[in-house]
Amino acid sequence: MVAALALTVDGMRKAGAAAQGGRFVVLFDPNSLIAAIARSGDRAAFAALFDHFAPRVKGLLMRGGTPAELAEEVAQETLLAVWRKAALFDPAKASASTWIATIARNLRIDIARRETRSRLSQVYEILDEERPERPDETLSGAERDVRVRAAMTQLSADQYRVVELAFLEGFSHQDVAHRLAIPLGTVKSRLRLALSHLRGKLEDLR
Amino acid sequence: MSVAHRPSDEMLASFAAGQLDEGLAVVVAAHVEMDHVSWRRVQELQAVQGALLDAIEPVSMDAGPPHSRLVEPDKLGVDRASPGGEPGLPGVLRPYALGPWRPIGIRIALRRIEVPGAEARVFMLRAGPGIALPHHKHSGLEWTTILSGAYEHEYGRYAAGDFDEADSDSDHTPRVDPIEGCTCIVAMTGNVLLQGWLGRLLQPLVRL
Repeated sequence: MVAALALTVDGMRKAGAAAQGGRFVVLFDPNSLIAAIARSGDRAAFAALFDHFAPRVKGLLMRGGTPAELAEEVAQETLLAVWRKAALFDPAKASASTWIATIARNLRIDIARRETRSRLSQVYEILDEERPERPDETLSGAERDVRVRAAMTQLSADQYRVVELAFLEGFSHQDVAHRLAIPLGTVKSRLRLALSHLRGKLEDLR
Repeated sequence: MSVAHRPSDEMLASFAAGQLDEGLAVVVAAHVEMDHVSWRRVQELQAVQGALLDAIEPVSMDAGPPHSRLVEPDKLGVDRASPGGEPGLPGVLRPYALGPWRPIGIRIALRRIEVPGAEARVFMLRAGPGIALPHHKHSGLEWTTILSGAYEHEYGRYAAGDFDEADSDSDHTPRVDPIEGCTCIVAMTGNVLLQGWLGRLLQPLVRL
């Protein structure tokens, strides 16, 4: 009885210590952070999202050859758009990372093509809204997202590298060939192979 | 709608990554809006970008979160693309100014789509039933999405929602469906060399 009580108290003390430290280690959960912004304009949630995603958006753009200053600007604007559009985020349609990556793509286009008043980002937004009639869609966007990730882990290192470079801004297939010091034909065939591998994996899972 | 001809995965990947010339992108977007298979494919390719974002090495920001710029978040729906546009036209054309239909021949009319900053010229083409479009060759790319009706050439029949890609190797004479006619949206780079009497007649009018 005493021992049991001691154990309980000990347990409580430990829990108290952890709570006082305020450092519960929880998995980073962007969906609930975005939901908190949508619900109540939660600035702490915004700061957490910013700390996680802004350096990644910046890193992704710089990897694609965007100068640091411009990458920083796009990253700032992307997270500001996440704040503004939080209520539009639908976790059933896509993961937070995919949603944020498309916002970053659109803003990168808007900013890079500012002087020509590009409307391409509006075109992407309209496409996201106006999905065509789909007779037999069984997979939600979020499930599709999970499966794409699973399929990507099965790409060879060479294929992954080509996919990565081919998706980054400003790299033509010719640039990819130059950076990887492989012939253009090899870039094209690796990319085609990687994309058809992804397609095959996704169709298996459908 | 049963679509038989689609852009390659590589082309959809370039589209999803925002790498296409805006004029070419508009024509791909018109197809994607009409075809659920390509639409889903684009979603998958966007998910690839999400996965790359997760895997990338972060680069630390010079400035922290812009708290001073956090105004009231949008309420649901406020930030959505504005509705409207002409009925019967693809939604993806809404951001662009469209010229009037101009006849460029007998039962052929053309309507310009102003895409600022694009290298490709973009236009809609409407052709009456049964006519043969001018025999032509290209020095660049010609990408087409069929909006209604159909045409046919040596690579098959192209009907509503189909995507057709011709390059400088192509040398074809599409024949328009004898009953439905055909309306399509086209993006072209380089020059088109129209041939024959109709082509010579059209060349100065079309300024392609």
